[in-house]
Amino acid sequence: MTTFDADDITLEKVREYVWEIPQEGDMRAPARVLASEALLEEIKEDKTLEQITNTTHLPGITNYAICMPDGHQGYGFPVGGVGALDAENGCISPGAVGYDINCGVRMMRTNLTYDELQGREEELVDSLFANIPSGLGGGGVVEAGVDTVEEILERGVDWALEHGHAVEEDLLHCEDEGMREGADADKVSQKAKDRGKNQIGSLGSGNHFLEVQRVTDVFDGDVGAAYGLEEDQIVVLIHCGSRGLGHQTCNDYLRKIEKQHQGLLNQLPDKELAAAPAGSQLAEDYYAAMNAAINFAWVNRQLIMHRTRQVFERVFDRSWESMDMHLLYDVAHNIAKKETHVVNDDGDERELYVHRKGATRAFPAGHPEVPKAYRDVGQPVIIPGSMGAGSYVLRGGENSMDLTFGSTAHGAGRLMSRTQAKSEYWGGDVQQELEEQDQIYVKAQSGATVAEEAPGVYKDVDEVVRVSDELGIGDKVARTFPVCNIKG
Amino acid sequence: MTRAQGGRFELRDHTADVAVAASGDALESVFAAVADGLAAASCDEIPAELGDRFSLSVTAENREALLFDYLDELIYLRDVRAELPVDHRVETIASPERDGEGDESGDWHLEASARGVPLAAVDAREIKAVTYSEMRLERRGDDTGSGDEGWEAYVVFDV
Repeated sequence: MTTFDADDITLEKVREYVWEIPQEGDMRAPARVLASEALLEEIKEDKTLEQITNTTHLPGITNYAICMPDGHQGYGFPVGGVGALDAENGCISPGAVGYDINCGVRMMRTNLTYDELQGREEELVDSLFANIPSGLGGGGVVEAGVDTVEEILERGVDWALEHGHAVEEDLLHCEDEGMREGADADKVSQKAKDRGKNQIGSLGSGNHFLEVQRVTDVFDGDVGAAYGLEEDQIVVLIHCGSRGLGHQTCNDYLRKIEKQHQGLLNQLPDKELAAAPAGSQLAEDYYAAMNAAINFAWVNRQLIMHRTRQVFERVFDRSWESMDMHLLYDVAHNIAKKETHVVNDDGDERELYVHRKGATRAFPAGHPEVPKAYRDVGQPVIIPGSMGAGSYVLRGGENSMDLTFGSTAHGAGRLMSRTQAKSEYWGGDVQQELEEQDQIYVKAQSGATVAEEAPGVYKDVDEVVRVSDELGIGDKVARTFPVCNIKG
Repeated sequence: MTRAQGGRFELRDHTADVAVAASGDALESVFAAVADGLAAASCDEIPAELGDRFSLSVTAENREALLFDYLDELIYLRDVRAELPVDHRVETIASPERDGEGDESGDWHLEASARGVPLAAVDAREIKAVTYSEMRLERRGDDTGSGDEGWEAYVVFDV
């Protein structure tokens, strides 16, 4: 048997790109890592493998805990982790969703070509930076009271539609049509709402950004056509989440679990994996609060997207409709969802809380939960790269249901710590190099953020996507390259 | 190493996030040092004078939870006050009462203050949350023979 030795942990090769950490000790299932050897060499450098092993201690873990090709160390649960926990006898874990509930990515198409944009990059990046709130304390597109926050929490993008920040088409191209059922604003704390009310429609900082991109390659013409993508076309990618409201919600429930379910917590190797037993009041409450925060994040990205349409209208002096600026799709990559999956070779189905933290749902063609617009070809999956590398559009692959509970990677995955990045790069140099060498125009609130997000701190997104494509969990459809990037 | 209220902190590498390692002679000083680490992780150049001081108090069921809730409260106050809390002082940390058997009853309580620098005046980035991951709050052993006893803490923040 081929093995890969990662210091204290030995992985056994199941087949090409599938590695297993066998079940032993208090593990309730094996752990799997989906990666090439080149990616494994990077993954083994931090605590990713220890964390994915810890994840298998969660009650109700079904089949195996899975680390995606872009996996890296997080807190408790690794980033790039998928854990399917039995919704009847298992548990739900706020830490396995992450602080930034429904952190995710959406892509908006345009009918502009790169030629039409060239020469106006600076004007566009300046205007986007001036009009899209970013950074700390930058406010939001909408500043409102707690009443509005509560409406957003329960109605999602439907609220944005009623208030002129969306069109019907936007809802049809968003998972769950932009509104999670079972969201309950009463389960979100006053503190979380107070944090959220000044941040509705804002990027935040860290690795969040808005990027204008050009499509450089379409690998699959038929699916590309179904997604409305062609070479040289301009698209807009937005990456952000539920801001302080989501962060606070995660912490509120971690603390409640600590107080109410100490017995379960004591069985887990990392306090950050804190989980509420399925069927408990707290599990129900967290699920309702998380669903509400998911709605908040969708509205956040929707407001930013709609504001972007207005910026394009001013810069190009045309209506956004005439530029065909429509939502391609919105994917969440920090989320837990109750889903029904086949769990064994006998075809038995079970309801599971599928936790995807730094992982993207990737349902294949024909799945009833893929929006009608894409059901024939499979769910679009958007994989952002660094600001100096390409991003990818994939489609949910045929093997995703068997291998990953319908999931794939979510990005390039970090390679270098933020502190190390700041000592190796200087924001101004990174910005200048990107502009001079690659004609990428970057504008940020903080030079430190540019340094911390320098292209060199990320894994090779091409290799992450290649592994996803080879495994058939997310198939390559198109590749894009940055033109303008704004960040906090 | 940076000194704060007699305590010290250092920012440590973490792949995606940022960690603060802190030490102090007393529980109060190590708490304040972690909070100063949080401020340093948020902003490279903190203005020396700007902003007014404000007070806060936190109650929790144990020492680690008190540290967690203190840092969580600071992040919450940053967002709702639109100010970066800096120059932290932890005035008092009161432990629960012990009965004759040595059993503790009641909660831990902390009184603290910080200077709030308006976010508009600084180039600060968002620390999303405090985490329990790898959190340590331990009494420092006197194994150096220097008589140097005190507290050490290690906290990972989500960026």
